[in-house]
Amino acid sequence: MRKVLAIVRREFVERVRTKWFWVSALLGPVFFGALIFFPLLFAGGGSSKRIVLVDDTQSSFGARVADSLDSSGVFKVLRRVTPRPGLLDSLALEVRGRRLDGFLIVTDATVDSGVAEYRSSNVSSLRDIGTLKDVVGRIAVNIRLERAGVSPEVVHQAQLPLALETRKISGSTTTGESSGQSFTLAYAMAILLFMAIAVYGVNVMSSVLEEKTNRVVEVLISSLRPFQLMVGKVLGVGAVSLFQFAIWAVSAVLILRHRTPAGGGMPAADADRTPFELPHVSFGTVAIFGTYFVGGFLLYSAMFAAVGAMSSSEQEARQAQQPVIFVLMIAYVSIWALSGNPDSAYAMTISFVPFTAPIAMPVRWAASIVPGVQLFGSLALLVVGIVAVSWVASRIYRVGILVTGRRPSLKDLLRWVREA
Amino acid sequence: MQAMNPSVLVVDRVTKRFAGHLAVDALSLEVPRGVIYGLLGPNGAGKTTTIRMMLDIYEPDEGVVRVFGTEGGGREHSARIGYLPEERGLYPKMRVLDVLVFLAEAKGVARRTARQKALDWLERLGLADWRLRKVNELSKGMQQKVQFISALLHDPELAVLDEPFSGLDPVNAQVMKDAVLELKQRGATILFSTHIMEQAERLCDHVCIIAKGTKRLDDTLGRVKETYGGRHVTVAFDGARGGAEGVFADRRLVAKTDDFGHYAELELASGADAQNLLRALVASEARLARFELTAPSLHKIFIDLVGAEAARADVVPEGHAAHA
Repeated sequence: MRKVLAIVRREFVERVRTKWFWVSALLGPVFFGALIFFPLLFAGGGSSKRIVLVDDTQSSFGARVADSLDSSGVFKVLRRVTPRPGLLDSLALEVRGRRLDGFLIVTDATVDSGVAEYRSSNVSSLRDIGTLKDVVGRIAVNIRLERAGVSPEVVHQAQLPLALETRKISGSTTTGESSGQSFTLAYAMAILLFMAIAVYGVNVMSSVLEEKTNRVVEVLISSLRPFQLMVGKVLGVGAVSLFQFAIWAVSAVLILRHRTPAGGGMPAADADRTPFELPHVSFGTVAIFGTYFVGGFLLYSAMFAAVGAMSSSEQEARQAQQPVIFVLMIAYVSIWALSGNPDSAYAMTISFVPFTAPIAMPVRWAASIVPGVQLFGSLALLVVGIVAVSWVASRIYRVGILVTGRRPSLKDLLRWVREA
Repeated sequence: MQAMNPSVLVVDRVTKRFAGHLAVDALSLEVPRGVIYGLLGPNGAGKTTTIRMMLDIYEPDEGVVRVFGTEGGGREHSARIGYLPEERGLYPKMRVLDVLVFLAEAKGVARRTARQKALDWLERLGLADWRLRKVNELSKGMQQKVQFISALLHDPELAVLDEPFSGLDPVNAQVMKDAVLELKQRGATILFSTHIMEQAERLCDHVCIIAKGTKRLDDTLGRVKETYGGRHVTVAFDGARGGAEGVFADRRLVAKTDDFGHYAELELASGADAQNLLRALVASEARLARFELTAPSLHKIFIDLVGAEAARADVVPEGHAAHA
């Protein structure tokens, strides 16, 4: 046990000492921060768009649209002008010169046909276009109703704003996770799991390969059993990855806690309009994520250890790792199908197969309701998978780690597993 | 103590094959406590494979290994065994002291003990100032020192050194030799393999010569010399060799000649008298600096035993045989 501990300690200490570790430990939170702040700064909390309203109406329509846009906070109507020859060209010039963000053209026909025109340097902002549609459409409806003799008070009363709140039902409890948040969470978890398993799995591989190529392994194998060495390695690198996550989690919490003051005096009322919503993460979700990360890491790092042991050089290892990465990719590319339809037969299948479950099951969990039986079934299969894969991997490892020269064929590998 | 358990290491009819190639063939040997034991043989004889089986790196296909009286290789006793493999290697990016402590810990030595001993050794070999440097910042010679500190740091009762002198500069070879002798004085047993007979002759108490995976000779150095001695003459010249060639070629006097130019090792023909040989050489006008009845060098014995085989090119280099 003390021997295994020595291996674990070396893997941990040597890795945590590297610049690479601290760069990613520090850049992780910066990345999180950017993920949160940039959408707020550039989309949500940004200054309102300066536009000109080209008003070709004989009614009060244009004036009411201008007022309504002004009060939306999204747009600032610099002036309302009536059309004249050459006006549109000169406005376009102003947009190009960035003195203006865009201009909206409304005519009397707008009220009847519902057609207006917005020209801007940016027409892809969902928030801008949404606000314009909303304002122009609402006022057009108002005017039509008034023309039909409905009193303005009735029209006003009829315009009850609708707010649809979504809450995810998880088992018997209703959580604070909303639908948009569920997807964000599922997606973020999938990326994080994929990255972490791939990056740290490859770390195990290169660590095995390093010992093999610089021949330290011979002394080590005379001191501990190959299985002990492999276990020590996997646990050591795993501990590094958990430590990395812990650093990220702590800094993420710190950043989120100080989000509002750091947001640059963003009005609190704007908070519900931000396009990026921070997911509410329940304890259960964190536990599922953690469990499947550990399981997935153990499963894949055993495979990566075997890949490292069967290779004699970095190039060989890069080739030999392809099948492993490929299997991991299957789960990763499935997340779109998974989060869109988390209860399909496909989603069920891949959340049970040990090789894809570490990514698929957390995604399903975040996106839908997973019955407890399925969760435990998936976990049980994952444990069986880890044991089976480690058994095979440790046999390949045991033989491969002392073999140099020609790259082993599939037949050789089978022989190693049989004979080891 | 010796009477109770004279053999530290026993190899009993051990066989190892690598995909059809027979690396070690029913080899048996015993290493008595407290000796320096030379495992000698040409390249590809099976020395490294045998050593790896002693240390549990390979499992024998047949036969058993007993270390410190218990069946099985040395892994269970790793804290009592020092191992210097033929192919050396350290972690290039680790600090010197950390590598030493780690390798000792992996053998089961307590961290604190390992650290203290590592510092003592680094001090002793003049590497104390380098203890916090990374291994790859050290010169090759310094790395060699670190390597054998890693093998001997924990005062092993049994040191297994595979080609310990290969690649060492003369200064480090001296350091290594001193370390081995000191270890022996403290009562440790040392097994080392080499294909350089001069080293074995200077250091070993007991030699075992193997070739093609089988044993050719296994005895104390003294008895080996006795067995093969008495019929050998060393002749050294003081300049002119005169007609010595003609005398060496006389099969009535000389059976075999190993001529080095300034001197030659001769094996007398059966029934020949050394005095007749001396007379013949003097008569041939060779100027002699030395004429001595000697035991043959281990080198000569070795060449006689395995020379013909070693000269043939059908030997498989060890370490590359495993994948075949």
